[in-house]
Amino acid sequence: MLKKLKETTIFLKSLRAEPLGAPAFICASSAIILLFLMLIFIVREGSQAFLNLGAELIIGAVWDTNAGRYGGLPLIYGSIIVVFVALAIAIPIGVASSIFISEILPHPLRDPIKSIIELLASIPSVIYGFIGLLFIAPRIASLFGLSTGTVALTASITLAIMSTPTIVGVAGETIAAVPKEYKEAALALGATRWQMIKGIVLPASKSGILASILLGFGRAIGETVAVLMVAGNTAIIPSPPWNILSPVYTLTAAIAMQMGEAAVGSLEYSALFGLGLILFIIAFIVNTLADVVVTREKAKIRGAG
Amino acid sequence: MKAARIKEKIIFTIFGLATALCVAAFATIAAILLSGLGTIKLEHLTKSALQGGYFEMIIGTLYLLVGSAGIAGPIGLLAAIYLVEYAPRGRLTRVIDQAINNLAGVPSIVIGLFGYTFFCRQLGLGISLAAGWLTLTLMMLPIVIRGSEEAIKMVPKSFQEAALALGAPKWKAITSITLPAAAPGIITSILLGIARVAGETAAILFTSCVLVTRGLPKSPLEPIMALAFNLYVKIVALGEAPERVFGIALILFMIVVIFAAAAITFRVYYRRRQLWLR
Amino acid sequence: MVSKGMKGLSKIGAMLTLILIIISFAAGYMIGANTTTPQTDGGEASWQTGSITIAGSTTVLPIVNACAIELMKMHPGLTITVQGGGTGVGYSNIIDGVIDIGAASREPNEKEIENAKKKGVDLWLHPIAIDAICVVVHPSVANASHPLELTLQEVGKIFAGEYTYWDEVKPGLPHKEIIVVVREPGSGTRGTFEEFTMKPWGYEVTSKASVQPSNPAVRNKIETTPYSIGYIGYGFLSDKVYAIPIAKEQGKPYITPTIKTITSGEYPMSRYLYLVTRGQPESGSLVDRFIDFVRSREGQQIVERYGYLKLPYLYPAS
Repeated sequence: MLKKLKETTIFLKSLRAEPLGAPAFICASSAIILLFLMLIFIVREGSQAFLNLGAELIIGAVWDTNAGRYGGLPLIYGSIIVVFVALAIAIPIGVASSIFISEILPHPLRDPIKSIIELLASIPSVIYGFIGLLFIAPRIASLFGLSTGTVALTASITLAIMSTPTIVGVAGETIAAVPKEYKEAALALGATRWQMIKGIVLPASKSGILASILLGFGRAIGETVAVLMVAGNTAIIPSPPWNILSPVYTLTAAIAMQMGEAAVGSLEYSALFGLGLILFIIAFIVNTLADVVVTREKAKIRGAG
Repeated sequence: MKAARIKEKIIFTIFGLATALCVAAFATIAAILLSGLGTIKLEHLTKSALQGGYFEMIIGTLYLLVGSAGIAGPIGLLAAIYLVEYAPRGRLTRVIDQAINNLAGVPSIVIGLFGYTFFCRQLGLGISLAAGWLTLTLMMLPIVIRGSEEAIKMVPKSFQEAALALGAPKWKAITSITLPAAAPGIITSILLGIARVAGETAAILFTSCVLVTRGLPKSPLEPIMALAFNLYVKIVALGEAPERVFGIALILFMIVVIFAAAAITFRVYYRRRQLWLR
Repeated sequence: MVSKGMKGLSKIGAMLTLILIIISFAAGYMIGANTTTPQTDGGEASWQTGSITIAGSTTVLPIVNACAIELMKMHPGLTITVQGGGTGVGYSNIIDGVIDIGAASREPNEKEIENAKKKGVDLWLHPIAIDAICVVVHPSVANASHPLELTLQEVGKIFAGEYTYWDEVKPGLPHKEIIVVVREPGSGTRGTFEEFTMKPWGYEVTSKASVQPSNPAVRNKIETTPYSIGYIGYGFLSDKVYAIPIAKEQGKPYITPTIKTITSGEYPMSRYLYLVTRGQPESGSLVDRFIDFVRSREGQQIVERYGYLKLPYLYPAS
């Protein structure tokens, strides 16, 4: 304890000696402060809902604010089903692409293709929603003979296009980081490229790929505008529950659509912040998990080296 | 052996198709939007919204971007300098690191909710440009920090050591040697941050935008019109036909792609140079 | 040599980007200055250089938006800012005094009246248009040659999900599942619809209903969805949907929504759209002028253009 205190004092003194040190330290710690502020204010605004509704906000099955029913379950379910289907599409495509780009594609083509995929990641969600509404929804409707194209599947496809670049980016980075010597050794031993990828590259970048999937999940569950525009926004748990051709309502969509209608200070207003807190916690868990996965892997590499 | 080769060919073809799918997705989106090129006239770019143009929305969007880059840029850069140059190995640094990652992962709608209660209501900024700047800063900050960190790390240690050996204090070595060498990478990270928030809608939904007003804000405490917000409101709330908002979608797309493409090209050049330096 | 060249290049790139940003900013200011300079001549009244903010109902927003643009074009010195929101935002902001005019598609609810009382605010409602809510179905359910008539309670039952198939509602209708389309909770249109058809009997909207965010969105959904039913404002009717004649209760006449039946009050489902102010607006103020403009002949033409009915007592129906 004493030793720690001493270390801290030395650290603070060293910062004072450097005119750049203190402001730099403050800026870096601002991330912690901002995160805390965010948590405090969202909890403060949502407290009324938690006190009055309790677990209802999470497990209640009916979300109908006109009738004063604030059950978040259909929304949580809507968010989850949309994201899971999206990831079921995005993960295979994303991981396959990242392997293809960093291991198979000829060198001169790598940067251009990577750049295009990064551009895909930068397209704003309102434009994805616009495209989904204009282009994907009508095709889904006619493909499955549906009366309306704004259903969970449409939202999932839109989301899949949006989260694939995240997966390609993070997974690609870790795949590229696998030491060249390992790969060359495998090839020298007579392995085919695929055997080398399967035997060396994938095991070595396993945790990076896992982290990329977690981050893709985080990005997808927090996506608002694009999902809102194409998901149909009906607060139900589809029947049967795996029916992805049914419209759904997500946590994010409910917040964005109903904030404008809720009177400040009302139970509805508070319930929407409650939903925000649920999202915040989900994102926090996912990101912390991704962090742990990456840190553990780094430690392993350091240990091995 | 031959079977293995054939299997490899099949697998690689599938992987290649997956990659082609990603590229095709981008091409399709670009093609759909560019097909709307005929619906906008060049003069609409400089015409006021009162005359059916997009001028205030375009400039409003740029105001939002430049302002939040002006806040997130310096803070993010200083934070990156701390993390690379000063941070001791220890619990606090790890917590800071994790906080940055978590900040990057907070859904934009939650940031919007926070921006509304904290900046607009608690700090009394109301629906204003300033509230939008601060809210978007929250989204931009992690990107700038991570990008600048990487850029600073890539500057060879020997550069700084040479300066230190000559008796320069550390901060001087950083400002006069490390930062200039890392400048392109830092600018890239800021451009990427701008591209990330340029089309952001959920975060500014409740904090800084209005449907129509006259001209541009005369102070940061006034609200603005922005492309992303107007596109969203016109489709979702006013129920306008997609054809009538094609122009806004196309301009927004082009602004974002220009910033993102600038950042990416920049980085590709920069990385190449770094490789040769080593 | 090569690396030096690259370094130069990226530096140039950095400079170019910075310059671009600066130019865009400067251009904004310069051109912006042209459009924002208030032209104050000595002879102008103070309202012509004033500025107000309006927020509220998405139903009223298109009217307010268009009127604000028209008025700003006519008087280059004044500024009218229109925010989005919803009726809830309109009332809470006008009560808090954050805005100058609220837009509402319903009268204030108990909570809002209570809030206003607490803050000592007198809410003044200025009617600016009539919105008649029409119950519409896809032509596969009913059309001019196969008409369908309903009472308010029957409509309520359908939206409450008490029927699954159309032929349960009235014999002769197709044996197909009913697809119910509604507006989002908080929408003024939804509030009014439920006031007329659901509240009196304690019905709640079926959880299977599809929620759409706007009048045109509901109409598009009905137009493209066989066996669907929904409700929209009179002005949003199209010939691809069938508006059902409605009777107040069993035994009363079924009334088809038309301008005549709505303005005469025969049609049972109509509501006023309002602008809301804190107390009576000061005569000659910009708030007062704006409301006057919306209620003027020109403003009422805009009202009609967006599919609502103009106020009958201001100008006789033609």
